[in-house]
Amino acid sequence: MAVSWRSWTANEGAKHIVLWLSANTVLFWKTFTLYCYGPQYYYLYKMLGLGLCLSRASAAVLNLNCCLVLLPMCRAVLAILRGSQKVMSRKARRLLDKSKTFHVACGVAICLFSVVHVSAHLANVYSFSLLYSEEFPSLNIARHKGEVSWCVCFAVPGVTGVLLVFILFLMFTASSHGIRVCSYEIFWYTHNLFVVFYMVLLVHVAGGALKYQTNVEDHPPGCLGSNWTGGSDNVCRAEPHFQAHFPQTWLWVSGPLCLYCAERLYRYVRSCGRVTVESVVKHPCGVVEVRMLKSGFTARPGQYIVLNCPSVSSFECHPFTLTTCPTGTEATFGIHMRVLGDWTERFVELLLSEDSAETETLPVVQRRTYPKGDWQHYKLRRLYFVWVCRELGSFYWFADLLCGLHQKLWQENRPDYLNIQLYLSKTEALQVCVGRQYQALSARLQVGRPRWPELLDDIGKSNKDKRVGVFCCGPKGISKALHQLCNSGRSCGTTFEYNKESFG
Amino acid sequence: MGKIEWAMWANEQALASGLILLTGGIVGVAGQFAGWQFAAYGVAAGVFVCLLEYPRGRRAKGTSVERTGQYCLTVCVKAFGPITRNYYVRAFLHAALCVPGGFMLATVLGCVCLGIASLIYLLAAIRGEQWLPILPKTETREKPRESIKEPPQNPPPRPPADLRRKRLEDVEGAAYVNPIPVTGSED
Repeated sequence: MAVSWRSWTANEGAKHIVLWLSANTVLFWKTFTLYCYGPQYYYLYKMLGLGLCLSRASAAVLNLNCCLVLLPMCRAVLAILRGSQKVMSRKARRLLDKSKTFHVACGVAICLFSVVHVSAHLANVYSFSLLYSEEFPSLNIARHKGEVSWCVCFAVPGVTGVLLVFILFLMFTASSHGIRVCSYEIFWYTHNLFVVFYMVLLVHVAGGALKYQTNVEDHPPGCLGSNWTGGSDNVCRAEPHFQAHFPQTWLWVSGPLCLYCAERLYRYVRSCGRVTVESVVKHPCGVVEVRMLKSGFTARPGQYIVLNCPSVSSFECHPFTLTTCPTGTEATFGIHMRVLGDWTERFVELLLSEDSAETETLPVVQRRTYPKGDWQHYKLRRLYFVWVCRELGSFYWFADLLCGLHQKLWQENRPDYLNIQLYLSKTEALQVCVGRQYQALSARLQVGRPRWPELLDDIGKSNKDKRVGVFCCGPKGISKALHQLCNSGRSCGTTFEYNKESFG
Repeated sequence: MGKIEWAMWANEQALASGLILLTGGIVGVAGQFAGWQFAAYGVAAGVFVCLLEYPRGRRAKGTSVERTGQYCLTVCVKAFGPITRNYYVRAFLHAALCVPGGFMLATVLGCVCLGIASLIYLLAAIRGEQWLPILPKTETREKPRESIKEPPQNPPPRPPADLRRKRLEDVEGAAYVNPIPVTGSED
């Protein structure tokens, strides 16, 4: 499928990736040339060569990425930024939605540049040993020429370096998609080793193995020694003095680390409040709606909550999108939870005890206060709601809400505002019987999977030269197909902006 | 909560260790550092471990996500039968492979990482996990149903008997055109 440049840039050409790539490249190049040509590193470069430049340049990039990698995970901060409508433009909000991708990009960069850094330092260790400098003993790490490289490694930077690689190895191998799908706990517990990683990193950079020359004016590099008897201007006035750098990493890393720790503390304090389960409603197809109350809790449509039930599991936390948000009149909030997996099974078992007489099998009608009349305030002009389910019973989860909304829009003479399309993907052994009160939905029910290209074409033709936001919540197959379709240019001049739900 | 499949993590670790061992070996050989023979061994062992660990095993429960282009290696690894299926064998193999890497600085990281992978494989083996190949499901073709070989046993449906009775008084009216042309039998 051909990719349209305009559609591609609307979806992928986020400025932050370009900015991040440029920052990494510039930092790498500047540091590389500094260590290659800088006069204060002349003698060190003579000893270590390319290994010095590569190791320091990769260290600079590692500083930047270790600083940036924590920022996308400050979810409370990002939620506040994203929610402040006056400050943030739509493009900036979409950028914030990609925070998890940015975190992964920084993580991958850390791994790649760690490989470069370790390889270059391996070469440096050998160079320190073989090219031990008799002329400038303070420049050396090795204690004598030809010292076994093992011993060179037992200095603080060496030991901490090995420990850092070990932790990074554990974190990286447990972060692949397969592990996160199969055993999320392994991913979660190894990823929390980041605390140890940062602590060891702060010690690693304090080693001071590489030194720079402080008195370049008095002793220009390559100057002739004081016992030079012939006349020349380039005579050394003093012996070179070497000093270890101040650990720059402390400046890079301490800010984001403190911010992230504050964020975790805030999340912990916020989670300490009591939550009351107001009602539990059983829906068809193994879905349970849980309505809860918590004092001081506010949320907006589209946000998700993370549930932790100590009676089920002390450490497990599971995200669920809010299906009912607290409003001014009603403080309850609710989620719809599909019972699939051991945590949800045990959680629902706990909630639905045997002698509970309050369980209902019909969905609860939700009373929401919708904006009255004046829809012009909202930028949204039309909403296409496409819902694909395997079984008919699934549509009952929100049938009342959809019918209620449809009815309201009809009464306000806005029938074209909401276009509902329901698809039943399981085509065998069908018996489509829908109650009379859901006639509006049964008229919009189609059997079979939706044909996404034709659907988007139709939407494009009806909304020429407009911007259409596509919000996908579903399996990877649909998400990928929609993403590709949004990137390919359809001929109507409509731009499709792709957004995916992800519990970032 | 729930059964953790340790073998999946051990597989990721072993693959990453193979790459680390390979990289360290290349650096050691390229720099011609002391003990570069161990680096050369690191290259060979790294390649072997990568090839062995690239095909992901099938999950006991749930859908398995296979790596790109792993089918050929799956077939090769499957061909070794119980040697590659059993995780005790893999654990001891990786433990043995990692030891020579510890004698040279360039390969020591690969050695440590492979050692950890070996321990996780041992844990997976103790929990009774084993490597099963992810193979595409061969669709069993339905046998084509036997065509009707025998002639029909019953005559074709006919109008009721009183209509079929010969109407001698009205021969013209009783005549009808056969919808299907009737030909006389040859014999």
